[in-house]
Amino acid sequence: MVDSLSRLPAADCLKLCHRVVDDICGREPPCRKDYGATWSLEEWLDLLNSLTGFFRLAVGNNSSDEEVLAGLSGMSSSSHAETVLSVLRGRREEICRALQDRTNSISSATLQDFDWQLKLALSSDKISSLHTPLLSLSLDVRENTGLRSVTMEMNRDELNTLITSLEAANKVCVCVRNLLMLC
Amino acid sequence: MEEVDKILIHALKQVGTEVSEEVDSVKQFTSELIVEAVVRCIRVINPGLGGGLPTSLPPGMSARFRVGMSLAQACQDIGYKGEIGYQTFLYSNEPEIRSLLMFLVEKLPRESAETSDQPTGKSVVLQRSIAAAIKAQLSVPWLPPNCRLPLNCDTQSPGELHRFHVQPLSLAQCTKGPGKKQLKELKDYQRDILPPVTAQPSHHASVVASILEQHTAELSAAQEWDNEWNSQGLLSRLTPQEYRSRKLARLRKRIEEQLRSAALPSPESAFGGPCSTSDLSELLQAFRGSTPSDHILTKGTHFTHTQKFTFTQEVAPVTSPLPTGPQSESEIQLRQQEELTSLQQQFQQLCSDVDQLAADLKHMSVTNTQVLDELKQRELGNSEKEEKMQVKKKTVDLLPDADENLLKLQALVEASAKRVVNLAAQWEKHRAPLIDEHRRLKEICSNQDMESSRKLTEIKSLHDKIRVSTEEAKKKEEIYKQLVTELENLPQDASRSAYTQRILEIVGNIKKQKEEITKILSDTKELQKEINNLTGKLDRTFAVTDELVFKDAKKDESVRKSYKYLAALHENCNQLIQTIEDTGTILREIRDLEEQIETENNNKTVANLERILDDYKAIRQENSALAAKVREG
Repeated sequence: MVDSLSRLPAADCLKLCHRVVDDICGREPPCRKDYGATWSLEEWLDLLNSLTGFFRLAVGNNSSDEEVLAGLSGMSSSSHAETVLSVLRGRREEICRALQDRTNSISSATLQDFDWQLKLALSSDKISSLHTPLLSLSLDVRENTGLRSVTMEMNRDELNTLITSLEAANKVCVCVRNLLMLC
Repeated sequence: MEEVDKILIHALKQVGTEVSEEVDSVKQFTSELIVEAVVRCIRVINPGLGGGLPTSLPPGMSARFRVGMSLAQACQDIGYKGEIGYQTFLYSNEPEIRSLLMFLVEKLPRESAETSDQPTGKSVVLQRSIAAAIKAQLSVPWLPPNCRLPLNCDTQSPGELHRFHVQPLSLAQCTKGPGKKQLKELKDYQRDILPPVTAQPSHHASVVASILEQHTAELSAAQEWDNEWNSQGLLSRLTPQEYRSRKLARLRKRIEEQLRSAALPSPESAFGGPCSTSDLSELLQAFRGSTPSDHILTKGTHFTHTQKFTFTQEVAPVTSPLPTGPQSESEIQLRQQEELTSLQQQFQQLCSDVDQLAADLKHMSVTNTQVLDELKQRELGNSEKEEKMQVKKKTVDLLPDADENLLKLQALVEASAKRVVNLAAQWEKHRAPLIDEHRRLKEICSNQDMESSRKLTEIKSLHDKIRVSTEEAKKKEEIYKQLVTELENLPQDASRSAYTQRILEIVGNIKKQKEEITKILSDTKELQKEINNLTGKLDRTFAVTDELVFKDAKKDESVRKSYKYLAALHENCNQLIQTIEDTGTILREIRDLEEQIETENNNKTVANLERILDDYKAIRQENSALAAKVREG
């Protein structure tokens, strides 16, 4: 499927390949409307899938340049294959890191991101002077494929409880890691 | 005096007196202002005492008098020693008022008032202002977005609220390893294609969050590594790279073991390879190789085998009767039933066969291993027996001429014993230096060990010191910042440096004056000495002259006359000196008195007395008017 890449000139091909790698690394994917004239929707999706798979496989297997070129032998023009190879060589480390991240977040739910806001409740409808600091914490948790947002609001005591339990969890993690190292 | 007045006015303002901007010295104080200042000071110093005092002067003369008297009384109660009366307030003169105010300001409680006020005041003021701002915002009516004025935008538009999302960034310096040669492609990419960091995230709002997140991640990783290196890495006495590679190898081994132990429980696994592989990558390769063909799922378990078997078995009979279609349904059903039962029987038979065969197989394998063991043991026994037999054979061969052979044997034994002794001696010879060498090397080794451990502890202590000192530096910096902010917050109008400069100047002046005074004193002393000398000389000369003249006077009449004159002259001179001294003291007294008069004149005593007289007359008039009223009433 990669051979349909040769419909683009080499310079654009370089850019597209870099955008595909950006997508692998968690940044913005390439935009279809920039290439709408070249490929139909089906071809476009196929191309993206195959390119992504190709990059992942090449980095994951740690294949040499010759192996990569052999994998690209189906492409009609050798300059395009060279382009893809140069993109791969330049960004091997980045892709490798992205793949490692994917492997690290192997558990059923992982924390993707978090955000917090501190609010000061001055008064309520019942109490004229409250002066209670409140922390609203939102956690973006990745579950299987979907992103779920967990939002909670805590006062000072609850926040302390959360922090102590998180610290205890971290301690357990460190213990396990040390054990792993000792074995 | 200006400095003193400034301090006084500043203190009075703090107490709460409203001193207008134009007034910048005590001279300009009106009696109203004086009364207010004094009353406020007294209220702060002693609330009980000052509570009953009014801050302004009443119009009536007698009331004024009473206010003045009570004020003077209050001042004396507080402990003012100077001269004070109602006229001090009503007809002020500068020095008196200044001394009174200085006394009162000194009596003011120092820090306590400020410290008790400020902390609560600050937070309360802040909260009050927040509440006021919110109230104001709530009172503004809500407007639809199109109608908003720029005034309302900052409080009502939600545009400023962003959620902070993090996106991974690609930074040039973080992808570059130290000492590693950069690839040409990577350089090209970073130069030509890679957008700047601000353009990398899809939303502009998440730039800051992303950068902060990346920074924190790198920082915490570095910190963790630092911690680990300090706690464990240093002790292992390896270079960082070696330590890292060793850790990696250990982890790999661990993972490999885990994977193998997870894979082993299925003994008939389709991929028999991993048991013999020695490396993680090979193991992974084995996994990778087997996954596409779905071998893991189709491991040859009993279940799948039997399933396959029965399925294929069943398919054959079911397909075969299909062509023989035209038969009655009951027959078909019957036949099917029969077939089913027979097949089931067959199936059960086969199952039991399989079970039996498996049991047999197990039994066979067990007996097989047993037999193998036995075989090995027998072989061992065989070889032993063969050796024994050979020894015995040799002895039997030697038996015929036993004596000769015995002698030969003895000689042989002796020779070998000698040789052994010889060898032992040689060995000894060689051994001694070797042992010495060994000891020496051991010592060096232990020395080096000690040295290195000492250095390690040194390094550790240095690390600790570094940490402690960085913490201290941070703390001190914070304290410095705090102090700077405090300094900025301090009131600027009473500048300390000006005061100290002033004080230093005054001290210098006093020193100079003291020097002058001592100079004058020494001059006076010298003069006194001279005078004493002269008077002594005079006395002595007089005594000598007196004696000479007295001797001659007995003989000569004219000389007697001259003696009389001499005595008279002496007496007159003494009188003259006395008079001069008296004149001096009188002059001094006159000067003192003049000074006193001048100060009294400065105090405007006469005018004050006149005023007091006027007051007295006014009060009398009031009194008489009141008496007349009473009489009329």
